[in-house]
Amino acid sequence: MENGTVINVLYFAQVAELTGTRLENWPLNEPITGEQWLNALEQKYPQLAPTRRLKLAVNQFHVKPSAVINPGDEVAVFEPVTGG
Amino acid sequence: MVVVQTEDFNSAELTADLRERTAKHAGALVTFTGYVRDYAGEKETHTLFLEHYPGMCEREIGDICQQAQSRWNTAEPVVVHRVGEMHNGEQIVFVGVASAHRGDAFRACEFIIDALKTRAPFWKRETLANGEQFWVQQRESDARKTQEWETKQAS
Repeated sequence: MENGTVINVLYFAQVAELTGTRLENWPLNEPITGEQWLNALEQKYPQLAPTRRLKLAVNQFHVKPSAVINPGDEVAVFEPVTGG
Repeated sequence: MVVVQTEDFNSAELTADLRERTAKHAGALVTFTGYVRDYAGEKETHTLFLEHYPGMCEREIGDICQQAQSRWNTAEPVVVHRVGEMHNGEQIVFVGVASAHRGDAFRACEFIIDALKTRAPFWKRETLANGEQFWVQQRESDARKTQEWETKQAS
């Protein structure tokens, strides 16, 4: 699979526990919004529902669900953060 | 200076280093240290585990520090945040801010720790004394505080 046809997805903390994986290559040929991708994520991992509560980072920056995800991006999905 | 590490840190040394670096112009130095509590809700805790997103985490904290520095005219802040497993009473996070005046130093320090709690990609998992484990939920009050900083004037 060529690099341009996937996104690298990172799962953290409780999301990683629910998916059972921390890193996954996700096929993606065309740009998609974060919201559309979260819906696809929920189809693949129903145990994550409702995914609209989850937060996204694209290429290591927080983004809103309306942001566009492009092939080749690094996408991270996680629960609201709890540091400090 | 932003450091994310598993090892404990020496807050006295971090404070002394910041003081040495800023002694010529800083009339105020404010530090905050966060510690592991021995309870969660009404239950006794055993250990706290912190996970982070390497790379994004350091960059996000760096951005928060830069915002604080430009908004309140402080010297470069110091943030050290631990990850991994920590026991009750251990240090989790250190924030140090030096500025010409105390108001700026207090506000910048509080802004940084508030922003850390809602923007820096860390996740806490508690293990209770009875062995039960759970991931900590973000507090609504923390999210509200971050929003308040966005609307507040830099005064």
